[in-house]
Amino acid sequence: MAVSKKVKQFKYLWYLLLITFFQILSCVQLMSNLEENSSGFATIFATYVAVEWLYVFLMRTLIKQKSFELEMIAFFLGGIGVALISRKSVDNGLKQVVFTLAGVFVFLVMRWLIADADRVTKLRFPAAIIAAGTLGLTFLIAPEINGAKNWISLGPVAVQPSEFVKVAFIFVGAATLDKLQTTKSVFKYLIFTLGCVGALALMKDFGAALIYFATFVIIAYVRSGDWKSLAALGVAGVIGVILLLSIMNQTDIPGIQTALNRFQNYRHVWEDPSNRGYQQTQVLMCIASGGLFGVGLGNGRLLYAFEEADNDSIFGMIGEEYGIVLGFAVLIAYAGILVYSISAAKSARNSFYVIAAIGAAGLLVVQASLNTFGTTDVLPFTGVTLPFVSRGGSSLVSCWALLAFIKSVDPRAYPKALRETQLTA
Amino acid sequence: MHNVVKRTFILLVVVLAYLGGMIFLGYEIVQNADDWAAHDASPYIVAPEMNFINTVYDANGVCLLKLETVKDEDDNEIQKLIRNEDDELLRRATLHAVGGQYLGVGITGKFTGVPISPEYEYDILNGLHVQAQDNESKDFYLTIDGEVCKTAYEQLDGRKGTVGVYNYKTGEIICMVSTPAFDPSNPPADSEILEKEYPESTYNKMLMLTYTPGSIFKIVTAACAIENIPNLYTRRFVCDGALEVEGFGQKVICNSVHGNINFEKALNCSCNWVFGQLAIELGPEKLQRTAEKMGFGDVFEVDRHPLTAGTIDVENASDIELGWAGIGQHTTRANPCMMMTLMGAIANEGQAVKPYYVAETHSAYDDTVLYQAQPETTDVIRLNTDTAIKLKKLLRSNVQNYYTDSRFPGLEMCGKTGTAEVAGRGDNAWFVGFSQREDFPYAIVVMIEDSSQSGSQAAIPVANNVLQSILGG
Repeated sequence: MAVSKKVKQFKYLWYLLLITFFQILSCVQLMSNLEENSSGFATIFATYVAVEWLYVFLMRTLIKQKSFELEMIAFFLGGIGVALISRKSVDNGLKQVVFTLAGVFVFLVMRWLIADADRVTKLRFPAAIIAAGTLGLTFLIAPEINGAKNWISLGPVAVQPSEFVKVAFIFVGAATLDKLQTTKSVFKYLIFTLGCVGALALMKDFGAALIYFATFVIIAYVRSGDWKSLAALGVAGVIGVILLLSIMNQTDIPGIQTALNRFQNYRHVWEDPSNRGYQQTQVLMCIASGGLFGVGLGNGRLLYAFEEADNDSIFGMIGEEYGIVLGFAVLIAYAGILVYSISAAKSARNSFYVIAAIGAAGLLVVQASLNTFGTTDVLPFTGVTLPFVSRGGSSLVSCWALLAFIKSVDPRAYPKALRETQLTA
Repeated sequence: MHNVVKRTFILLVVVLAYLGGMIFLGYEIVQNADDWAAHDASPYIVAPEMNFINTVYDANGVCLLKLETVKDEDDNEIQKLIRNEDDELLRRATLHAVGGQYLGVGITGKFTGVPISPEYEYDILNGLHVQAQDNESKDFYLTIDGEVCKTAYEQLDGRKGTVGVYNYKTGEIICMVSTPAFDPSNPPADSEILEKEYPESTYNKMLMLTYTPGSIFKIVTAACAIENIPNLYTRRFVCDGALEVEGFGQKVICNSVHGNINFEKALNCSCNWVFGQLAIELGPEKLQRTAEKMGFGDVFEVDRHPLTAGTIDVENASDIELGWAGIGQHTTRANPCMMMTLMGAIANEGQAVKPYYVAETHSAYDDTVLYQAQPETTDVIRLNTDTAIKLKKLLRSNVQNYYTDSRFPGLEMCGKTGTAEVAGRGDNAWFVGFSQREDFPYAIVVMIEDSSQSGSQAAIPVANNVLQSILGG
């Protein structure tokens, strides 16, 4: 496997400098536009840039890692998130930097964990049980907020278990592959998927359920290649959801009504911009108002429009304050993650890494498109987070954990000694 | 392994779908961005409410309203506009100047929410540029004197009505009280209770409503007669208590039998016979034109509050209707603020200075002066100097010879009362006037609705006490 020579050497230092420069500019703009918080912004960005550089320095010296494409994309996206979140609340910005540090740590742990084939084999069944158990437990104990039951509090921090279960979901999907091209192996994974999606639907976290389902379709296809069955499953799924929604239309359970309203509003948001279409129309008005290069960090208005502006509608804040051009750069960055995984799959050590990487990249792109296109009314609104960008620790840490799957597809990511080992399962 | 890698290329389909979404979004933005940016509900056009007002101070530097951080029911910190906590009387007396719940008037009503017709430019490269948009957090300094407003509120003493006082040389409104007025710190629970306990309190009556003027309209009829009847001052009239109008069999009833009087005396004692007769003689066109020149049917704005226009409609009036219109009945309506401004114009010998009550606004961040009011004349009232001087003398004569100066000690007051009949309820008791003292240039309007007393009985004491509180304070 002499593929590493074919992959062009990445000029990571140059890109790191560019990203740092971009983040310094963001910080300076925030400091000049919102003077009263300038010391907070300086602390936040100094810490964030330090995390980036320290990570690159440590990886470079400790394991002689040469490629940093994925981390650069994640740090770039995360930096945009940090700027917009701290612009709304300096406290939340500081938290987001701490979560970034936690995310990078989890990223490293995950890379170590899946580097060893034996560990992967040993961990796959416990992971499946923990994943299913966590979702089940969440459904039982989580309080109902806005109709959905997807948050539980662990002491001082509130976590969203469905974010972490995503990691296990992909892990299980990739690691339980024992024989290729047998429908039976996919069937077991299908049962596991239905369990997870079912639990999420019961929690009324329909956005997450959709992401899990799409990820399942991607993983199952790569595993079995049976596109006919999957197409049939996909169509059945869509019909099932529509039937289910029309039956549930009769009920008045809050979470379901919210989901239904969002669905019925799709492509009709301008008919009721002050009420049912409020969130999407405010986002579109603000994106348009920013023009190609934005109104400037600290000058936007979207964050006053509703509470969750820096969470599920942060794409609107990007378009508004940074400009439409940067908004599209963010969109391209997610596509870049997927294209990277496809192109790096060739050089993977074995199928586990290919499936895990494709599954994780697929999940991130599906989630990014549900978020960005949902908030701009290109797709129905589902209220999922924008990977690496949105405010929230669970989401950010889980994105970094998912990134570890993609990172692991590239043999250059490992110390030399590990590069030749094979997964035995 | 080989198959798995091969199948990953199917994910290019996902990438293509994703790119398709991006292209669609890009297309939508290019097509519609201009409409979206200029949408009525855009937060760039409707700016966030609370950001506009930081504080409101009266002319004495007393804080009337302040943006404070408080806890809501769920213990979240929220920003809320809080009224002066110590003085309920002050809160009520300045309710309509400052604004409050249910009210679209005052500082909170007019200086939050939609700025008046923002102008904007849009191109997709640079985005939206809103000009003259007023969205900075501000400290408001009013010309309103809280102490004078309190006096006026107390003087109205539970009666419905309005009292307005302004400096006719500078335009500063010192007093702008409208009753009934609820306590904005403890507003009525819902709009039903509001309407029941505080009827019409959502209006700033001085600016927003019009009332049957009654005898204060005789000032207009007098102006028309001065300009059109050559022998007016030498003519004698004989009032027999009721003016018979030929061909109608109806009479314009006078309040008394005034006998043989001249024009000045007729205005002093507000003789309906004489003013009915003059209106009929002048005819519909002339009376209509004079009323329009004196502000009827037209408006200006007082710090973003457009007045409601007074009405005059005698162009097609019959003689009997004209007779009634000449004494301020018929369909004629007067706006209190416009009447006060008319008094100012007479006091200034023709020049009408527009009233205002926001003196300055400062940036809440760095205290820079964002706006400073300047005295400004209005051509809504177009009074020629000669007529104004004659009216001024007549109004002075009213006080000297009829109401007596003892009812306005030290004020050198000029003015006219009115007691307008309103179908189905008590009278409107009016007093409009001004002090002609150079060092005390104030014009006043007092209007008490549903009054069992006349303008002279009810409105003059209110006017005097309010003006005395300015003089003494």
